[in-house]
Amino acid sequence: MDLYADALYGYALARLHDPSVAEDLVQETFLAALGGVAHFRGRSSVRTWLTGILKHKIMDHLRRKYREGPRRDTAPDGREFEGFFDEHGAWKRKPTRWAADPHRLVQQQQFMETLFECLAELSERAANAFIFREMEGMTTDELCKLLDISATNCWVILHRARMKLRHCLEVNWFGNTGKEGP
Amino acid sequence: MTHWMFDCREISRLVSMSMDERLTLYQRTGLRLHLLMCRYCTRYRRQLFFLRELMHRYSRLCDTRSQEVRLPPETRDRIREKLRQAAAGR
Repeated sequence: MDLYADALYGYALARLHDPSVAEDLVQETFLAALGGVAHFRGRSSVRTWLTGILKHKIMDHLRRKYREGPRRDTAPDGREFEGFFDEHGAWKRKPTRWAADPHRLVQQQQFMETLFECLAELSERAANAFIFREMEGMTTDELCKLLDISATNCWVILHRARMKLRHCLEVNWFGNTGKEGP
Repeated sequence: MTHWMFDCREISRLVSMSMDERLTLYQRTGLRLHLLMCRYCTRYRRQLFFLRELMHRYSRLCDTRSQEVRLPPETRDRIREKLRQAAAGR
């Protein structure tokens, strides 16, 4: 157990950003693994096997949460992004150039903190939709099932998340004041 | 600034959608033509893919870095105890 506990905890924490939930899910994973050890055929490494169980636990956790939670953020709203576009549908605040390399940026803890702060400003559903779509490469089909919403709402949520996240990063990290960049 | 038949607001929606789904021919054509002429939407699109690339890398980084994250010792003990109980109860 000691061998894998930290790895599993790290995995859950990176995706949920909630230590107490992550701890609970790690515990559930080990208990499930104990019950299902007969099914482990050694086809994958133990770590991969446990991570697979944990991933299911994370999905279950989110699914339960969304079933119970309010759904007010799912309906498309015509007036959305009013601050982003003018009455002709043109950018009010034009996207500026980002001179950055994802490879280097991802290693900067401060940047990742800014990114997760920006994600925290979204609804939890939108933030999770973004994380699971872009981090896990989850298909929109899977995502819809997870969030318990229609495909259309799924796209709306992702669109909203990307738009707001990009904007937040531009303001808070790429540090432009609305002037046009190079 | 509007180009051809879609404005930037609509294009931003199509850009996002194109990252998850195959667009219709009409949408694809409109998107391509608009992007040819609008550098802001081109930037927008590039930055969304930039964020995708970044999150992918972050995912991989988390997997390699998880050695640095430690499960709190109390939790570790609690889980060990639960496992012991569960194993005894089987």
